[in-house]
Amino acid sequence: MATGSKEPAVALSGPSGSVERAKPVAVIDIGTSAIRMAVAEILPDGNIRRLETLTQDVNLGQDTFIRGTIQKTTIEQCVRILKSYRQLLDEYQITQSDQIRVVATSAVREATNKMAFLDRIYIATGLLVEPTDEAEVSRINYLGIQPYLRQDERLQNATAIVIEVGGGSTEVLVVHDDNVIFSQTYRLGSLRLRETLEAYRAPAAQLRRIMDNHIRRTVDEIVAGIGSRENPEMIALGGDIRFAAGQLIQDWDRSALGRVKLSALEGFVDGVLEMTEDELVHRYRITFPEADTLGPSLLAYMRLAQALELSRIYVSNVTFRDGLLMEMVASHRWTEEFTKPVIQSALEMARKYHVDETHARHVAELAKTLFHELQNEHQLDARYELILYVAALLHEVGTFVNSVSHHKHALYLITHSEIFGLRAEDLTLVGLVARYHRRASPKASHELYATLDREHRIAVAKMAALLRVADALDRSRSRRIQQLHCTRESERLVIAIPNVEDLSLEQLALKEKGSLFEEIFGVPVLLRGATR
Amino acid sequence: MSKKRARYINRELSWLEFNQRVLDQACDDSLPLLERLKFLAISSSNLDEFFMVRVGGLQVLADEDSNHRDASEMTPEQQLDAISQRTHRLTGDQIVCYLEQLEPALTEAGIRRTHSSNLTQQQENSLHRVLDNEIFPTLTPMVVTSSHDFPLLINQTLNVCVRLRPGPMDDDAPRFSIIPLGRAAPRFVTLPSEGGYAYMLLEDVLLRYIERFFPGEEIIECVPFRITRNADLSVREDQAADLLVQMSRVLDARKQSHCVRLEISDQVTSRTFNFLKQVLDVDDCHVYASPGPLDLAAFMQLTAVSGFEKYKLPAWKPQPSPMVDPARTMFECITDHDILLLHPYESFDPVVRLVEEAADDPDVLAIKQILYRTSRDSAIAAALARAAQRGKSVTAIVELKARFDEARNIEWAKSLEQSEVQVIYGIRGLKTHAKTCIIVRREAHGVQRYVHFGTGNYNEATARIYSDVSYMTISEDLAADATSFFNAICGYSQPQKYRKLEAAPTGLRDRILELIASETEFRRQGQKASISAKLNSLVDPAIIDALYKASNAGVKIRLNIRGICCLRPGVKKLSENIKVVSIIDQFLEHSRILHFRHGGDDLVFISSADWMPRNLNRRIELLVPIEDPVCQQRLLDSLDAYFKDNQRSHRLERDGSYTRLQPDGSAALFRSQLYHCQQAVDAVKRLEQSQPTLFQPHRASGQAS
Repeated sequence: MATGSKEPAVALSGPSGSVERAKPVAVIDIGTSAIRMAVAEILPDGNIRRLETLTQDVNLGQDTFIRGTIQKTTIEQCVRILKSYRQLLDEYQITQSDQIRVVATSAVREATNKMAFLDRIYIATGLLVEPTDEAEVSRINYLGIQPYLRQDERLQNATAIVIEVGGGSTEVLVVHDDNVIFSQTYRLGSLRLRETLEAYRAPAAQLRRIMDNHIRRTVDEIVAGIGSRENPEMIALGGDIRFAAGQLIQDWDRSALGRVKLSALEGFVDGVLEMTEDELVHRYRITFPEADTLGPSLLAYMRLAQALELSRIYVSNVTFRDGLLMEMVASHRWTEEFTKPVIQSALEMARKYHVDETHARHVAELAKTLFHELQNEHQLDARYELILYVAALLHEVGTFVNSVSHHKHALYLITHSEIFGLRAEDLTLVGLVARYHRRASPKASHELYATLDREHRIAVAKMAALLRVADALDRSRSRRIQQLHCTRESERLVIAIPNVEDLSLEQLALKEKGSLFEEIFGVPVLLRGATR
Repeated sequence: MSKKRARYINRELSWLEFNQRVLDQACDDSLPLLERLKFLAISSSNLDEFFMVRVGGLQVLADEDSNHRDASEMTPEQQLDAISQRTHRLTGDQIVCYLEQLEPALTEAGIRRTHSSNLTQQQENSLHRVLDNEIFPTLTPMVVTSSHDFPLLINQTLNVCVRLRPGPMDDDAPRFSIIPLGRAAPRFVTLPSEGGYAYMLLEDVLLRYIERFFPGEEIIECVPFRITRNADLSVREDQAADLLVQMSRVLDARKQSHCVRLEISDQVTSRTFNFLKQVLDVDDCHVYASPGPLDLAAFMQLTAVSGFEKYKLPAWKPQPSPMVDPARTMFECITDHDILLLHPYESFDPVVRLVEEAADDPDVLAIKQILYRTSRDSAIAAALARAAQRGKSVTAIVELKARFDEARNIEWAKSLEQSEVQVIYGIRGLKTHAKTCIIVRREAHGVQRYVHFGTGNYNEATARIYSDVSYMTISEDLAADATSFFNAICGYSQPQKYRKLEAAPTGLRDRILELIASETEFRRQGQKASISAKLNSLVDPAIIDALYKASNAGVKIRLNIRGICCLRPGVKKLSENIKVVSIIDQFLEHSRILHFRHGGDDLVFISSADWMPRNLNRRIELLVPIEDPVCQQRLLDSLDAYFKDNQRSHRLERDGSYTRLQPDGSAALFRSQLYHCQQAVDAVKRLEQSQPTLFQPHRASGQAS
């Protein structure tokens, strides 16, 4: 087996041995103004088949953004909705926790009684709600929008500025060539704006001016954050802009990005802002909560496009649920689309801390090969492959602080950084694997390691053992070991290295790395060079 | 009405014209005698419902807001007058048809109505027995003096009013007694007879023996009458915490609502007549005096008398559809290709089979179905109950508000609930009229959804006599839409944008208007443009206006509207390009089929909705596109056939009247329902001929075949 640059960074592998069937899953998004659910199937080829989408209005945003807490009646309303969703899920026999993902965005995250809310939902419905942080929201949005960006020829050389103006916040994501260059969340939200405006009690005409001022202030901040980019194009997500695009584009094929001229959008926004809520509801057959946020949100998109000096914007039909579903696909099928930006982001971090990139990359490739070769030994889920790969890329970041105890510095740096696409708990795993690439074996008394559950503790130990072998194999820092093949003999594990005769350096390094591998896998490792 | 014709035809008068067409069938001597009697009975029961629902409502409206004008620019008062005039003519025709044509013909055929004057001794003896055992015990005369002690009479049942000679203490004031005939005693009292069938009407029997009820009294007069109550009462759903309880209350309230019509024998004296009018509070214009028997609807019972087969139409046997392979499961058949059934020409069995197979199939996860009017002993409802008992998730939307079926629906709903079917009683403020069933099944490749859409109810009995369309498919788009439609009506979700379907009350009217407008646009751009539609009723002014506009642009419009049509066709500069026909034949035309030429792309739909404001605003209805080319072609062919009919078709004239079509000169006779029957029979024959004889021995399992 060869490790070479022609191979994808991380190869794909499904859970070994099993015949895959479509897996029914559901994602529920508890947003500022609605609780939405998508029921879908993940097909064996990784495609998603939508079965049902549901939505019911709630007043979470209003509660949190005005009062700071979620009212009891609203909590019970959420319980009622989630119970009815749960009933539907039972129908599809979607009952396992790995089939359901429930996330809550800013309205829940910012509520002072967040914990009480989550507990009540769990007790009443058995659903475990994850409050998502900004980084997660942008990652999930990226997963959803990325296939659209890639397939759209009009965006080949463009820098995509992906914007979603939500009820509570605005997410900005800058993507170029599948790489996330910039991601940031701003506290500009249509519902938040509405609430702020109501406090002014000003006449309608004046309100529009005040709202515009608010929006422009954040827009300036966003434009400064994005900086100047080559061929910028704006890709707008969100229910409000989707609605506008539906009105402005005739026969919009929603499987592709729709393109709207800024001048057309300006005209439409003017019209919407002139109308009262009643008129909007009547004219467009939308609900009152929808009518409530339409004007402020569209105005924000429009101001952004103007500030970015664009003459058109692209609108995507993709929703937060799409991203969540994509992530569910990724969680049991690691696709290149998913891993590439993660690895890119990890490399950015490695560079930031002046890591020997050639060595880091080579160790990562070796670790990956070992992960595949020893699948039968470690029996780890495919998703750990990426964790190991990223840990290998970053195992030396700690030297930036000090080469003494650099493995411990690595843990601190990694867990306090943001790597696109990795959740906080993933970062903990990456940090720990890097921390255990040398010196002491994991101990229950070690900080952070102790907080993991059994499954994760074992996974960290296994991955650290593999990383130690991979690191030892490139002790020469010459990338001289390009191929390896593992065989299990009765009392030892033999790693055969063709093309290299003298392996004493590596063998010594392996010894130096201690007995972690043997502790975990029960056998010592023997390196066997090319036989003459 | 002003000289200038109103833009729309009045819907009540249009409905009465429809009922006249039904009655005309009874007068058509080319039809078998008992078939004619059936049409007479139908025209009479139609009228009963019309009075209960429409006239009752109008009378209330006239009291509340006498200036309110409808689309045809008539006030309620003007409408009530016009209805009264038209109905008097209609009931006059009815009784003439009965007395002068049907009764003599029936007598000749051996079905004899016997009068007390010519009873044989044997018959008399028999009558005594019946009277003592069945009639006498169930009837109770009630003495009445004024409206205060007037008994609560049951809606649309016969009563007899008896006037007795005043006694010495009565001060010459008339004495009246009412005998309600109720529903317990039989209307047709069978008499022994040699050959044929002899009967006496219950009221005639009573008249003959009336003195037995009033021993020692002198009877001056004895006259049958019948009242109709307003049934246009509905649940104030905004105040109804428990719909089931409220619905039962409405049913109770209907029992004592005001009297909208009095039917009475024309033999009545003015004294008795005035008394009844006064106690019942009925105006002259709502009184219908008849020289013949009242409640002609009851004669439906006579059409089923056995032994007179040659006076009936041969019973039509619904044919098996060649699209359904009896050797395979419905799941396999539908997976193979979309299935379109034209009932009653083709059997409804595949629909029943689908639900039954779903109930018994271990891989089925869920069944969701709307039940609007279902039949007694419905196999479908039984299958739903069975499925629920087997642990499948079964949701049934049972529409309690299906008028006059409420009692039966309440009963069904309760029994389904007991079987752990999740029963949903419709939606606040709206009637669920759409007909769809979704079956969710776990299959090797994932979840598969089977959907049935229909234009008729899930009612095995009416599926044999109503023309309806069934469409079964696994289309991903339609299945997803049907599911989200269901989620919306069950309250699981707010209504969402559909991929292919359209539903009322949210977007169906707009969609229709859009389709008509785009046809108009095609025409304006110089393309061919046409619209064909088959519906039960066309009332909605917005849609009629759109059709007028399309007609003015040159769109060719053909409408086949069985019942009410408020569109005025063939008027210069308004509707020159619109033709309207109505088919009244053996089967009740009930399917709704639409076709828009759409620049050659042919858009074809089936729908549960008539184009009436009530359907489009206050009902939950569906518009389903049929895109499968085979199914689409069948529908187009069927739709076309109706416009070729020159035997049972009537053309709507611009004055609102109808003319029965005749074959033009040498043109061949064409009867659309017959054509459909033949098509169904031929299809089965073709299939049989195309299949080579192949013996299929049953083998023991494990043996290779």
